[in-house]
Amino acid sequence: MSSLPRGQRFDPRVLARTALFTATGVLWFFPVVWLIGKTFTPNAEILRSAARILPVRPTLENIVTVLQRWPFLRWFQNSLTVTAGALVVTTVVSLLAAFAFARLRWRGRDTVFLLFLASMFIPWEINAIPLYFVANALGLLNTHAGIFLPIAAMPVGMFLLRQFFINIPQDLEDAARMDGCRSFGVLFRIFVPMSIPAIGALIIWVFIFAWNEFFWSLISLQRSRMLTLPIGLKTIMGAQNIEYGNLFASSLLIMIPSLLVFLSLRRRIIRGISISGAIK
Amino acid sequence: MQLRRLSHRHEWLVFILPYAVLWLLFLFGPLLFGFIISLHRWDPLRGNEFIGVRNYIGLMSSSRFLNSFLVTWRFVLFVIPGIVLVGLAAALILQFGRFHGRSAFESILFFPYLLNVSIISIIWALLHDPDVGIIRPLFIRLGVSAPPLLSSSFWALPMIAVATIWWLAGYRMIIFRAALASIPHELYEVARLDGSGPIRTFFAITLPLLRPSLLFALVITTVGGMRTFGQVILMTGGGPGTSSEVLALHMYRLGFDFLDFGRAAAVGFVLFLMIFAVSMGLVRILRLTGDLQ
Repeated sequence: MSSLPRGQRFDPRVLARTALFTATGVLWFFPVVWLIGKTFTPNAEILRSAARILPVRPTLENIVTVLQRWPFLRWFQNSLTVTAGALVVTTVVSLLAAFAFARLRWRGRDTVFLLFLASMFIPWEINAIPLYFVANALGLLNTHAGIFLPIAAMPVGMFLLRQFFINIPQDLEDAARMDGCRSFGVLFRIFVPMSIPAIGALIIWVFIFAWNEFFWSLISLQRSRMLTLPIGLKTIMGAQNIEYGNLFASSLLIMIPSLLVFLSLRRRIIRGISISGAIK
Repeated sequence: MQLRRLSHRHEWLVFILPYAVLWLLFLFGPLLFGFIISLHRWDPLRGNEFIGVRNYIGLMSSSRFLNSFLVTWRFVLFVIPGIVLVGLAAALILQFGRFHGRSAFESILFFPYLLNVSIISIIWALLHDPDVGIIRPLFIRLGVSAPPLLSSSFWALPMIAVATIWWLAGYRMIIFRAALASIPHELYEVARLDGSGPIRTFFAITLPLLRPSLLFALVITTVGGMRTFGQVILMTGGGPGTSSEVLALHMYRLGFDFLDFGRAAAVGFVLFLMIFAVSMGLVRILRLTGDLQ
């Protein structure tokens, strides 16, 4: 890497470490490489030569078969809907609530805040049973809003933003209020532009959570055309008479969006995780 | 004018209400409602019957519940040291190691975190598959005769833990890395001038300053481990037998396979109390260290 000082680049100890950590990295990444190799291997060959990693005669048949048999595009759209809904709702309600806790004065503020803080410990999964009946009563079962609204009810985003808001200088707010800004103006003209790193971290956190959400979606989404990608993949795993090649190909197809997002936003994602990690 | 002043005084309501409604409907409400369900023989079709704490008493005498309780703790014991140690080692390597390709190393270790639990489980289940997996041929080549690990009641749970470590250790690495980067550089300069070697420096500077992050990671991974569900239902379905049936899976089975929602909600509430107690206990320890410093 070019960040190493000139004199150290060919230091034998540096090269030895490079070899060691390259080997570790290759081993860590091996399951993904193996998955890619098997995806392009004909079924008969997958069964015959388990010890091989790369195909002798590469083929697209597995990918073509699964794309014909299952509605991947539909599931992808559903995942997008759930994720986009979670992003929009979480961001808006968290911004408003964080502002109320960081900058507005009202009776009972600290008590309510403590109550919300304690609710961080309510585990997402254990709420699934009662949530099932709540969603049913509200007509939200088997809908995408029924998935993303509960995600937006988690307090993580609000804490993240509040933490950021309380450090914004009071002078800035006062100046804006002198210019005639009401609270909404202060929030959206001053606080939002100044909190881009925190909002970015929030977006990354919600994106990863919503895109991969499993437990609640498994319970709530029952109709095949409503499924998201993780639940679709579970359906494929449980299908009758499924060929191994189809399993490999489906996993790879479902991995592609995450892979593309990661390759294009690697730095930002890692930085965002470092910021939100201080809270979560 | 009157109206305007009123709306100004109560504008906090407008700001807090959207989130508060969601919180009440989908987070706090369900928690309370879950507790109420757990006090009933819950049968939405034929009517619910209040039975007090009998669901809880039933759990205490259910060997399947006690089994899933032990399985959960066994899983937590495998998974915490794995995630924390791998994450810490990788963070230390990235922070202090001088070698080529550091950002590639970081990316590769972090990447599995972005995958959903279905992909993680399918990859690892297939790696272990007796017909097409690579683990068995590898063992045979090494001269080890091992049973198919995921169908062994002893090995299934540790193997789910390995898959989980592969999935989540990279996230811990990023968090630890941020904590390491915030340790003042001058401290290391001083240690170097004092002639401290790397091991002494680690125990005298890095570890003490990393302690809050480590304890925090301990809380989060313990809580996460206790809630584990997806990997188990997908990789082993709780089997063989019930040897890998964790609490969250037991709850799911009671509710959606046996339709005994009262009992399932009771498992959920026990799980909540466990998680709450562990979190609070560890948070207190965390604060205690804050006072001591």
